[in-house]
Amino acid sequence: MKIRVGLSIAILMAFLISVPFFATDYWITLLTLILIFTVYASGWNLFSGLTGYTNFGLAWFIGVSGYVSSLLIADYHWLWLLAWPIGALFTGLVSIGVGYILLRIKGVYFAISMVALTEGTRELFGTEYLTPLTHGGKGVPFVAGIRLPTLYWSILLLAFITLILCYKIFSSKFGLRLIAIREDEQAAETLGIHTTKDKIIAFILSAFLVGLAGSIHFTYQNYIDPTFAFNIQLTLTPIVMALFGGVGTVFGPVIGATLFTFIHEILWAELTLLYMAIFGAILMGLILFFPQGLLGWMKEKGILPRSRKI
Amino acid sequence: MEPILRIDDVVKKFGEVMALDHCSFDIQAGTITGLIGPNGAGKTTLFNLITGVLQPDQGHVYLGGEEITGKKPHEIAWRGVGRTYQIIRIFPKMTLLENLMVVGKGKERRMMERATDLLRLVRLEEKKNDYASDLSFGQQKLLSLAQVLMLDPQLILLDEPAAGINPTLQNELMALIHRLNEDGKTFIIVEHDMNVIMNHCQNAIALNYGQKIAEGSCSVIQRDERLLEHYFGR
Repeated sequence: MKIRVGLSIAILMAFLISVPFFATDYWITLLTLILIFTVYASGWNLFSGLTGYTNFGLAWFIGVSGYVSSLLIADYHWLWLLAWPIGALFTGLVSIGVGYILLRIKGVYFAISMVALTEGTRELFGTEYLTPLTHGGKGVPFVAGIRLPTLYWSILLLAFITLILCYKIFSSKFGLRLIAIREDEQAAETLGIHTTKDKIIAFILSAFLVGLAGSIHFTYQNYIDPTFAFNIQLTLTPIVMALFGGVGTVFGPVIGATLFTFIHEILWAELTLLYMAIFGAILMGLILFFPQGLLGWMKEKGILPRSRKI
Repeated sequence: MEPILRIDDVVKKFGEVMALDHCSFDIQAGTITGLIGPNGAGKTTLFNLITGVLQPDQGHVYLGGEEITGKKPHEIAWRGVGRTYQIIRIFPKMTLLENLMVVGKGKERRMMERATDLLRLVRLEEKKNDYASDLSFGQQKLLSLAQVLMLDPQLILLDEPAAGINPTLQNELMALIHRLNEDGKTFIIVEHDMNVIMNHCQNAIALNYGQKIAEGSCSVIQRDERLLEHYFGR
């Protein structure tokens, strides 16, 4: 069984690596977007799916890291390979402070404060005060000098690392402690779990991974502006993808991101005028009938084993 | 001998309500003490202050001679204080084994052995891979005790351990508490059932309106006029 699973993953990876050698740009682009959103959704799930702290500020991670790396490339002529991790590291560092303050607030208040942080930062980045640094609301067009296949391979590697990390964490004692926080934070504390520390570590890890994908995302777009970078869509879409595949499961977000993107593409191409309405109906149906997501449902029905490793 | 727990002039107010009013007492190591008093007397508040869930407005808490006032709950847990709740607070969406494994530090294999031993102790070993939510109410109470034991605490605070479970399981639980007590663990038990207190505790402390109104061996407490008046409204 283990060998079969390993072999399937190896074949899938080999296929994904070889895609740029035979596929058209349309397919490479589509896969690139799926992989970017896989990292967003998995990164969100890593923190929110385990701890139960619903993070509605994913776009903040994406935007901050995207801005740092984009500005480094555009204004300081850094190499993309250096600019991306610096953007993500910066986001991770700032998240320590943000997490330290906001992770004391629970439930809907945490969610709202993350939305407020994102909206506030968006406003701030567009003001004249920060224009010398951020170029204000008119945005930053730039060319990073990276070819599409290289960008695709980069995000493929990041998505692969993210999934391995999730796999390791979800079945580790650290992961169990995060689930304990979700189930009953106060009980977890009196059982000796340093909940603040564990929450912040998971938050930073999520910020770093999502931030790195954000940097790649804006390099791929060759452009960044505040509305674009801190857009609520960048928060909502990954959350919906994670819900789709199964919140709190290891592979739910990647399945969610893939299915979501394909359904979206098909609907958009076939029913351009109605696609949002149909898409909304599908989402409502999913949330009503499969609140635990595809993988969660399959685990419940016994189609998949009830393992923390899936 | 240094008491394992010293509550020294502790005050806790919730707005205008005096939840604990200059409360002081010592608990000697190796004893089982019953904490009694009517609803709202401050028993659970006292547990919350000992475990660091709440901070006292005034006064000090000492554990084995060291002050623990103001320490965080997880620090106090690691200093050897375990606690169960009146409303069961296990982790329902984890298996029994996971419920225990999440507590405690150290090598995976040693913890696994310890968790398995503890599940055997509370006779839940066969269900170790079931979800905790699938257990009966009484079994969940046993699981919650096993979970606390993962910390290897010296002092264990039990909030109404016998409430709502059938007599057989209740006897089993009390027998387990006595066995652990013989191994040197100290217990403080909040309980409304006076029979449980009288049959199983050596000492009792009575609270009313946040004040300690009686303290002593159970046989003495049983004859305390003032307590009977407060407790049974005679």
